[in-house]
Amino acid sequence: MENDFEGRPSSEEAAASLRDLGADRQALADGVQVPKMLLAALGGVAAWWVAGAAGANPGENYEPPTSGWLGLVAALVIAHLIRRETGIRFRKMGPRAALVMAAIPVLCLILFSISLGLGSFGARWAVLLTSLSAFGLVTWLAGIAFRSALDQLRR
Amino acid sequence: MTKAQFDDLIHAPVRLRICGLLRQVEQMDFAVLRDTLDVSDATLSKHLKTLAEAGYVSLSKAASVSRSDARRLTWISLTPAGRNAFGAHLRALQEIAGITDYTQSPGRRD
Repeated sequence: MENDFEGRPSSEEAAASLRDLGADRQALADGVQVPKMLLAALGGVAAWWVAGAAGANPGENYEPPTSGWLGLVAALVIAHLIRRETGIRFRKMGPRAALVMAAIPVLCLILFSISLGLGSFGARWAVLLTSLSAFGLVTWLAGIAFRSALDQLRR
Repeated sequence: MTKAQFDDLIHAPVRLRICGLLRQVEQMDFAVLRDTLDVSDATLSKHLKTLAEAGYVSLSKAASVSRSDARRLTWISLTPAGRNAFGAHLRALQEIAGITDYTQSPGRRD
């Protein structure tokens, strides 16, 4: 059974305590498993949303597909599941992760726009390529964001 | 800048480490905290109870789909008071250790 600390520590003990805190942060970050399946699921949601452009009819009466809202809900559910699986709710993810997280919706919009363009030229089959690109890129970027958040834990 | 203030309640080794880990996150699962600290459930519970009674940590329960029994996930977080107290305690440790450049301190984050 541990006794409560009594009295102030010496300068060496205080420095050792501070070093131990750094070691704990390192151990925490090292112990977290990257939830690869859930990150791939995020990529899957992005791919599904981009693929939705194949069924859209761009033009004067264009109406954006409702799959965008469903995709957003699915992404939020996956983010919740990532927290549950890792057991950590990050406080700060760091500037690199924030940049990557901001890049993901921009990338999806670009790929969605390209897909709409392909659809308007009758090349709906090519949406498969943009959809696969969305899957690969979003999975990769989500992995970068997660690892950046872990790096932030170490600091 | 937080004023340095040594806190005997926080400085007990396990409690210091608990606060040090919780400071980095918004919330952490009990099991992750226990495994990182490499302590038993009972030891961690005892120290969390002490910190909770002081108003330094809060605990919340959530249902777990991965568990077939009635157990639930326990999420732990530092309260604003706990965050302030730990920040002040860190500064006190840094002063005792003679670390004047806080940006170089291993305990610094903010």
